[in-house]
Amino acid sequence: MHRLWNRIDFAFSSAWQNFWRNAAVSIASVLIVWVVLLALGSLLLVLHSLDQIVALEKTKASAISVYLADSTPLSSAMDFKLHLESDPRVSSVEYVSKDQAMARFRQLPALDPSVIDTLGTNPLPASLDVTVKDIRDLGAIDQEVRTSPLVDKSPATNYEPNVIDKIILLARVAGIAGLVLIIGLTGLSVFIIMLTIRTAIYLRRKEIEVMKLVGATDWFVRWPFIVEGLIVGVVGAVVAVLIVGFGYRPAVANLQSVLIFVPLAFDPSYLRVVLAAMLGFGLLLGSVGSYLGIRRFLKQ
Amino acid sequence: MAAVVPAAPQISLQGVQKTYPNGTVALRDVTLEIPKQDFVFLVGPSGAGKSTLVRLLIREEKATAGSIHIEGQDLSRLKRRHLPYLRRKIGMVFQDFKLLPNLTVFQNVAFALRVTEGALRHLKPKVEEVLSIVGLEGKESKYPDQLSGGEQQRVAIARALVHDPRIFLADEPTGNLDPATSWEIIQLLLQINARGTTVLMATHNREIVDVMRRRVVAIEGGQIVRDEDAGGYHAPALESH
Repeated sequence: MHRLWNRIDFAFSSAWQNFWRNAAVSIASVLIVWVVLLALGSLLLVLHSLDQIVALEKTKASAISVYLADSTPLSSAMDFKLHLESDPRVSSVEYVSKDQAMARFRQLPALDPSVIDTLGTNPLPASLDVTVKDIRDLGAIDQEVRTSPLVDKSPATNYEPNVIDKIILLARVAGIAGLVLIIGLTGLSVFIIMLTIRTAIYLRRKEIEVMKLVGATDWFVRWPFIVEGLIVGVVGAVVAVLIVGFGYRPAVANLQSVLIFVPLAFDPSYLRVVLAAMLGFGLLLGSVGSYLGIRRFLKQ
Repeated sequence: MAAVVPAAPQISLQGVQKTYPNGTVALRDVTLEIPKQDFVFLVGPSGAGKSTLVRLLIREEKATAGSIHIEGQDLSRLKRRHLPYLRRKIGMVFQDFKLLPNLTVFQNVAFALRVTEGALRHLKPKVEEVLSIVGLEGKESKYPDQLSGGEQQRVAIARALVHDPRIFLADEPTGNLDPATSWEIIQLLLQINARGTTVLMATHNREIVDVMRRRVVAIEGGQIVRDEDAGGYHAPALESH
């Protein structure tokens, strides 16, 4: 126990001294670790949000809303509903009145109800929400309903065939760009941590010489530098984790208020995974950097 | 403790050769045996190979050819991870002391125990014991730059003693010291030798070697040119000139 404690105590107190003895270099490496982890955490959360949107769009994909002109009498709307229901390709049709549309609109998470109240009149159209049996028939149905005089012209339906593909493409581009950025920053941060450790070794060269002379084991000499690398990784990670951890919910809320019709959700369980991944990656950066830093002098 | 087999000297070099990567031959065909508790002066001009010999004994360097045994252990077969345990058997002091300037006397000595994971409970009594051997009681909290050269060398000797070494190597320990202080250091080495530790001292100090009349091993050009008990710094023939 005494020996283990001595080893831990020595490694940590030396590492802490090293960290502050070349504070400028140490802080530079903490900053770069911080940037890498911030990029990593943000990328994971953005991709997760895009995934959420794709999943939601897919469930909506077998339905379109056909918007009715405000002048349409309810009886004509019901006739049109029956006409659509008789179509063999259609599985169901639901009538949504202007009031119901407004009620739904009010339920959108990021909307301030007082804003709606200032509108005075209800600008939302009534609609027929048509669900098809086969998603591939949506385009044809969309074409047909547009010809009806009952249908509003601006816009006629909410049919957007490419939206899912576009989001998937966006997710892919964001993922690749983010990955390239993170790989580049990872290389840079490992390099800077390595330089930090080399500097610390240089500043301690006399002590290392004495340690070897009096019979310290290689690992006893190495541990302080590995611990120093881990400290850099952990400090960088903790700062990034705090920012992402506390910033995620407000960021979602802010984005939601801009992108009213895009469903974004705060997902605490995924956030925990992301934060754990960031911390783990920070430790990995620190240990790889310090391993590379000590590797050369180990050989001697 | 089991008796050492008489036939096996504590330190044994057989046909040792050392060629550095740049082609310099530092030692050629050196054969030397040092029994337990011996006191040996290693003399010779600068660059003769004295320091190389010392470095080979603590395996800072590996012999290019020949074999070196310390207490029966073949240094060429010693694995790197066993090297620290060889070093703990050998106390070493140098001309430049190699003290850590930011540590006190006590901390400098304790450092050697700490980094070799000596049990911390025994650290303080052990440090006090070796500091009293070298006569530095009362100076525990001084820093090296507050001490004279002789005192600094005593700290280095105390540090080399904390592991109760069986062999004590001194590479020019009096090289930076005035004659009176040098004699004090020699007295200390004699005292350590009298406690049963083998002492090998590489030196240029002719006066000390001549007065002491101990075993002298002279090296020139990487070869042992003389090995005599109760010898002087120079060979008798040269001294008559």
